[in-house]
Amino acid sequence: MPLAGSLDIRSLLEDAPTVTMSDRELHVDDVDILQVLYEIGFADLESLLPPALNPTIPPVITFLAYRARESAFGPFSLVQLRLSARAGVRPRAFLVSAFCDNPAATEELSTFWGYRIHPGGIQLRRFHDRVECSVVVDRRPILEVALVDPQPITGHDVQYPPGMHLARVEDAQGVRPRLVQVDTEYEFRRADRGRPELLTFSPEAWGNDRLVPTEPVSASFAACTVDIGALRYVCNPDLPASEGTERVGPSS
Amino acid sequence: MEFGIFMELSVPRPWTPASERQVYANALEQVRLADELGFDYVWAVEHHFLEEYSHCSAPDLFLTACAMQTSRIRIGHGIVPCVPQYQSPIRVAERAAVLDILSDGRLEMGTGRSATWTELGGFRADPDETKKTWDEFVRVLPKMWMQERFSWEGRAFSMPERAILPKPVQKPHPPMWVAVTSPGTEIDAADRGLGCLGLQPGGFSESEKKVNSYRARIENCDPVGAFVNNKVHTVNFLSCAEDGDHARRSGLKVASMFSYMASQLLSAKEVLPTHSYPSAGLLPALRRESGSPGDAAKSFKGVTMGTPDDVAGAIRQWEAVGFDGINFIHQFMEVVPQQYVLDSMRLFAEEVMPQFKVAPKSEPVAAGVR
Repeated sequence: MPLAGSLDIRSLLEDAPTVTMSDRELHVDDVDILQVLYEIGFADLESLLPPALNPTIPPVITFLAYRARESAFGPFSLVQLRLSARAGVRPRAFLVSAFCDNPAATEELSTFWGYRIHPGGIQLRRFHDRVECSVVVDRRPILEVALVDPQPITGHDVQYPPGMHLARVEDAQGVRPRLVQVDTEYEFRRADRGRPELLTFSPEAWGNDRLVPTEPVSASFAACTVDIGALRYVCNPDLPASEGTERVGPSS
Repeated sequence: MEFGIFMELSVPRPWTPASERQVYANALEQVRLADELGFDYVWAVEHHFLEEYSHCSAPDLFLTACAMQTSRIRIGHGIVPCVPQYQSPIRVAERAAVLDILSDGRLEMGTGRSATWTELGGFRADPDETKKTWDEFVRVLPKMWMQERFSWEGRAFSMPERAILPKPVQKPHPPMWVAVTSPGTEIDAADRGLGCLGLQPGGFSESEKKVNSYRARIENCDPVGAFVNNKVHTVNFLSCAEDGDHARRSGLKVASMFSYMASQLLSAKEVLPTHSYPSAGLLPALRRESGSPGDAAKSFKGVTMGTPDDVAGAIRQWEAVGFDGINFIHQFMEVVPQQYVLDSMRLFAEEVMPQFKVAPKSEPVAAGVR
């Protein structure tokens, strides 16, 4: 059988968001997205993911940056650090942590979708020769990443696997630790890809100092509409996804 | 219909020298039996770095052992990744020729390009280039085999004039195939006069469209070799027993494990936006992006599992779609006992295979259609 996660989630639960189950959806019209992927080392790979998830071979981290020019909360930027995974037979990305520059957006994304978000200063800038993103916390850069030499592609070529967010889920049965699956749909207006470039990355600032990039994989940029759907599935983080998945929401 | 067995050589953890040796020994036993029973082909994949899924990284060596222990079955060397970071086409031509000699002219040459980032990234190969390099490899391989000396100035590789030795026993050269997983590769196969080696069980109607477009297109192909290998094979899971329920349970164990392990692979498409891989590669239908993480991999219509009558019925459906052959996966991760695999093959050969056997086709002729 494939390798399975062995992460003890208790330490992560201390500051995990509490999710209120609802049928909330979020539509954002005009979003720029930079996605940069790097391989990381294999050492102690299983301990990076909860038992519900399987690591990929090789393990890959993703910097996924959104810049929303307008939304129900005003403009906001969000940068996620995700780790590639499988939930059963499904490709998924485990959210390690995220930074956001808008408190109202932070509150919404944490409460209804379990984003583990910290406040940070974010810049996502698109030039003709590069797209770059930086995250600054306490005046210290913790991420400077870029797509170099963009070339047009179609949106169909870009993939963003659904996120799996560790959260405390509050429902009629009380508060339980769960991985919530965040399904997001994208409607692309343009897309580019290019060479990834990582200038600064402080993994400890993102909550796991073992996520050290070793090998560049890819970088893409997209301008699109983003729809984050209502939660449909949650998983017991301590069981394989095939055993511990529950349907949630109105039709459950 | 022709029938083959398809070897991934998957090795479940924990890995020990004994476990890898046992998987290879079991596979060789299956190949010897397949030869005795009248199976037409044994195919062995070439994969690298695919933990558990496939430990078959040197298939030419495994197939040499197969050739030395058999007398009749055709030796399917495929899929050989035609990616220069993996191997030079010179070495591919040389090793294949040796295998053809040692098998006394039984080599079938399967070509392809890999679909996983695990493999392509491991060799630091550029996924954008693999279609192009595959195209160059399949054009030069027949020339390397047929010409006394050969030189080339190309995109993927270059060489001054040299004799590439030895030459294959089969003249003008061994039959050539290409693995078909990505949409449109069946057209590539037809245009080049290559056999179409389907690696992706799919629906009947979708398969029929592919077969029909292949057959129509190959009529006016420009073959890369000296003859056209007009054949379309598909892949399926074989589990045949008098107790149909037992056969289906055993077969589904193999199929489910195969699909589960395939879904764990990191496809090139998943991590790199590229036109070069329009599908996710292996079994994309089984790994929809959204949906429940709790879902199991789904089976498909026409699976060759059950009683001999069930299996024969499924094969008739594939035959009606237009396939010339089926290559069977009958073991994966050693999830069913070796004895069950052997018994299933025997029953298939006794009761199913004769229903589909036809007189042998004529040998290939230069510039003709095989």
